[in-house]
Amino acid sequence: MAFLRKLTRNYWYLAWLLAFLFLFFLMLRITLKYFPFNSDVAFLQIKQTEVNNVSFYLPTFYVHVYSSILVLVAGFTQFNNSLLKSYRNLHRVLGYLYVIVVLFFSAPSGLVIGLFANGGLSSKVAFVILAILWFVFTLNATLSAKGRDFKRHREFMLRSFALAFSAVTLRLWKVILVYLFQPAPMDVYQIIAWLGWVPNLLFVEWLIKNNTNKKIQTL
Amino acid sequence: MKKLLISIVAVAAFYACTSKPVEKNTENVVEDTIAVSGLSRDSLLGSWVGNFTASESKDNIESSNKITLIIKNIQKDVVTGRSIVAGNDRPFYGKLIEKDGEFHLTLEEPGDDKYDGKFDIIFKGDLFEGSWESFNKNINVTKRNFKLTKKAFVYDATAMLTDKDDLTDWHNEKLKKDTATVDGKVEVYENQYYRSASDAVYKINSSMQELKESDLKNLRKLDLQILRNTIFARHGYSFKKETYRQFFDYVDWYVPISNNVEKELTSLEKKNIKLLEKFEKYAEDNYDTFGR
Repeated sequence: MAFLRKLTRNYWYLAWLLAFLFLFFLMLRITLKYFPFNSDVAFLQIKQTEVNNVSFYLPTFYVHVYSSILVLVAGFTQFNNSLLKSYRNLHRVLGYLYVIVVLFFSAPSGLVIGLFANGGLSSKVAFVILAILWFVFTLNATLSAKGRDFKRHREFMLRSFALAFSAVTLRLWKVILVYLFQPAPMDVYQIIAWLGWVPNLLFVEWLIKNNTNKKIQTL
Repeated sequence: MKKLLISIVAVAAFYACTSKPVEKNTENVVEDTIAVSGLSRDSLLGSWVGNFTASESKDNIESSNKITLIIKNIQKDVVTGRSIVAGNDRPFYGKLIEKDGEFHLTLEEPGDDKYDGKFDIIFKGDLFEGSWESFNKNINVTKRNFKLTKKAFVYDATAMLTDKDDLTDWHNEKLKKDTATVDGKVEVYENQYYRSASDAVYKINSSMQELKESDLKNLRKLDLQILRNTIFARHGYSFKKETYRQFFDYVDWYVPISNNVEKELTSLEKKNIKLLEKFEKYAEDNYDTFGR
């Protein structure tokens, strides 16, 4: 198991794995609130207007919740070079899972429920743009891999996953903002709708620009 | 025939007139009304409302609750009624004595409740002034004073808190450690933080308008709690929780008269209470946690 030795020597990746495991667990806990199916639970408790008046809202919401947790699995495996080299097929299988789930389920459903987002027009715009960019980046990354342009594939998958990871960062920002300022709930929501993904995207753009070779490969 | 018809109508009208006031006043019976220096025993009947302020307590903390004394019945010198304070609705029984042109009332609660006690009241025209002493000397507050004025309870759906009312919750402070650098030294302070309601609590009337999710989404837990409990305050509910008493005790229209008003709620109010409770729970579970 040469790659395992390599893995544990890579402290950055190890730190990421541990942190991501913790955050993944938090997201899993949120997802499990929606088992068994219930039209008036967790977030849906304040969404009964949509649940009762928009027939497709509830199914779309559930597609988003159930599919999106699968997307995060990519964070464990897809961005490590040693893993990629030693287990090419694992990368491919999980890659296909990610792409299919994002393009056919998570991103389209995200776009639809984004149209009904809390916090008014500003957060609706934020979530709709997020969904469209997520779809476009993921599609681009897939086509690049098909075309064997792996540099471009890696860059677009970084962008795609930065947006997927907004599920986590949005909720982290919320905890921080509420702790510091105790704003009214929808005021927070309007802020995190943007803060959840824009900095993530800026971060990977910086990563792509400055560390085209080194850091991306180690991360 | 015509005469008979008129007399039937007259009888019917007579019943219609008399039935209403009789229904309302069956509880307030005064056997003999003797006027003492211009004061009538009639005027003792009814509800007397005011602050019930601690004068002797173990923790020496100043505290005051709104109390209502309802004088239901006076027969000769025997007085019966109820005292309602801080969610405690107790019957009392006592004596009325005329002395030096004043009415003196000594009223006792039954004594089977931990917080039962004895009232000594002097009736001064339009004021019930007096003190209360608990039977049980082991409770925190053993003596209280009060000055009560006569005020009938009336349900008014339009009654609201206003911008003149204090909307800070002084009873659920959070302690936070803050650091500051004083003369180059870092010092840690422990500060108390108090939450405060927003102006939504005097803009939204939860007894008059059907609340929608969109009306409540941007409200914090305290706003939601106040909006829900304003409904209960309008119905004269006596709050057990200090958190709610602090907001309503000082409001003029608020007259606590019961510790259970469920039956009085309108269907609109019941609907709004359900929605508000749901949002309170959501705020409680989600406002500061990892999630939405």
